[in-house]
Amino acid sequence: MTPPARRPPVPGGADEPATTPRADCVADVAGGLTFDVTDEGGPCPAQLLLRRRGGQEEVRLPLTPAGGHHLRAALPAGVALPEGRWDAYLRAAGAEPRRLAPGLNDLRSLVDRAPTATAERIAVRIPYATKHGNLSVRSWERAPHAEAGALHIGDGELTVSARLYGTGPAPDAYAEAADRHGTFPPVRADVAPAPGGLRFTVSYGALRPGLWDLWLRPGGAAGPRVRIARLLDDIVDKKPVYVYPTVGVDTEHGPVEATPYYTADNDLSVTVAAVG
Amino acid sequence: MHISFLIHNAYGIGGTIRTTYNLANTLAEQHDIEIVSVFRHRDEPVFRHDPRVRLRALVDVRDGGADRDHAELRRPAQVFPRAEGRYEQYSALTDRRIAEHLSSIDADVVVGTRPGLNVHLARQTRRGPVRVGQEHLTLDSHSPALRATLRGAYPRLDGFTTTTEADARAYGTKMRLPGVRFAAVPNPVPAPGVDPADGSGKWVVAAGRLAPVKRYDLLVRAFDTVRAERPDWRLRIYGSGRQKDGLRSLIDQLGLYNHVYLMGPAHPIEPEWAKGSIAAVTSSLESFGMTIVEAMRCGLPVVSTDCPHGPGEIIEDGVDGRLVKVGDVDAIAAGLLELINDDTKRQQMAHAALKDSERFDPARIAERHEALFTGLTARGGTSRAGRVRGSLHRTRGALLGGAYAVRDAGRSVLGKGRAA
Repeated sequence: MTPPARRPPVPGGADEPATTPRADCVADVAGGLTFDVTDEGGPCPAQLLLRRRGGQEEVRLPLTPAGGHHLRAALPAGVALPEGRWDAYLRAAGAEPRRLAPGLNDLRSLVDRAPTATAERIAVRIPYATKHGNLSVRSWERAPHAEAGALHIGDGELTVSARLYGTGPAPDAYAEAADRHGTFPPVRADVAPAPGGLRFTVSYGALRPGLWDLWLRPGGAAGPRVRIARLLDDIVDKKPVYVYPTVGVDTEHGPVEATPYYTADNDLSVTVAAVG
Repeated sequence: MHISFLIHNAYGIGGTIRTTYNLANTLAEQHDIEIVSVFRHRDEPVFRHDPRVRLRALVDVRDGGADRDHAELRRPAQVFPRAEGRYEQYSALTDRRIAEHLSSIDADVVVGTRPGLNVHLARQTRRGPVRVGQEHLTLDSHSPALRATLRGAYPRLDGFTTTTEADARAYGTKMRLPGVRFAAVPNPVPAPGVDPADGSGKWVVAAGRLAPVKRYDLLVRAFDTVRAERPDWRLRIYGSGRQKDGLRSLIDQLGLYNHVYLMGPAHPIEPEWAKGSIAAVTSSLESFGMTIVEAMRCGLPVVSTDCPHGPGEIIEDGVDGRLVKVGDVDAIAAGLLELINDDTKRQQMAHAALKDSERFDPARIAERHEALFTGLTARGGTSRAGRVRGSLHRTRGALLGGAYAVRDAGRSVLGKGRAA
């Protein structure tokens, strides 16, 4: 098929409207992203702009011809993109930035991502469609990082498997559940080695009603606090996908129901509610 | 040829709409194509159409649309059959507008895309154009009352297409439609805009409405068996629907929350197929089985129940996928484990799936519709002889123009929505 001179054709497929510029995103296994934008034949040089939502920061990525009427911009894993939500724009030279819409996101490299155990810093960037149908990128940058794996809900307790990056567990390492509002003291749990990492068990009976955030203390009480999160896959919002059973337990303060969940930042927490 | 499609609502989302655009866009390379939508409820269609395809609507019910508060909208339809599923949306106004359209239509072929519109076509199209009805569901899914109506109207059609051979046989044996030419033509599915799956991910993927007919409860139960033998494999189910809470409970009850995930809807779905290595379909009924073709076009072998009507006509059992007994958890689990436990067989089937699903490419499917239309215009349909010669001439010219270009894969994906 001979393409027309300027704009690419709008062939066969039942497709999206042509009015908004779109970007296809491909993720690489290291956490980098490539954006492909349809070349509208506008003035050069064009840029892909990432603007931090609720902030002033901007990351400008040059768009260069990539053949086949496409312009390409790269966001390598090494480029800093502080943790948050970044809205994507297309800016042609001398023109106002235009919000980009999502095209195809090929995120297969992110599924079951397993950085080497020696990785010092974990960078995660997941492109996604906002509820208004625009393209944004969710970024996490953590060093050290504690990646949550399988959760097992037992009789009145939660066992968490986790993998540490950027630090190793000292002999006095432990985990803790911290009351988000600081009313109650943290509840400690011993960590044990497990295949590919470590694990610990939180007894729901020790948790008063409220929200409890789970942390690792790999260096003991004197070392860093590392928030336990689930970041290493292709799912931008874990909460509706990683869903866990609620169990009831009798505590010395009365019966409660407890459920582990992922927060809006994909950090692991437990919600505890009094029953009756 | 000038081909005119009549569709319920070209501005919405759904399998029939997507299929019609895919077909119209491809036919537009060789023919003069228009899509006439009975309703228009939004400014722009969800699916993009080739600029050569003309799109217009008969009844504008947008906010501020010309027909929004039309009095005739509230009077019941007389022509559109009462037993049709969409009857409540039709009215004296649609009766009149569709009649005006069909009685003055300037086309060689007019195509209806659902039973009620096929009835309009049969009764109201002026002498001349060839009348082709399309069945996008199945005869068996219609009520006896609707079947009786269709039996009365369909003999006045010239041609009729179903999406499966099985449904064409059902029409052949259960309806007396002398003189109506039948063709089973599958739905077109474009090549995906992403590379095929490489088969390395230990994921089974399913996608569809979370509806009882999809029997995802069987799939979850089967995965309990899979987990016992291969805990390293997991399952993603894409889609939304009223079975969601029940499936959630089942997953929790079986303790499968680290293995089975309800992903919610995904648009487009192709990149999600490409993350998996096996696709699963556990339906009790698939009027066609568009998701099976989609998955195959993304390089996944499909383990599917051998349910009526489509799967058995899409999958070649043991070659490009596996057909297993309907409603049988053990059979579904065995089918999945067979492919999970044999990497070589899985890869071979994946290659075969990719190759065998090329027959659903819009270019190939459009040729089959074109062959039907051409045959009918040559036969004359209900038209006068002079018109026939004119049509035939144009048709020959079109055929000499050559085959349809294979779709540009990068642009052939859904913007939104997916097959029902």
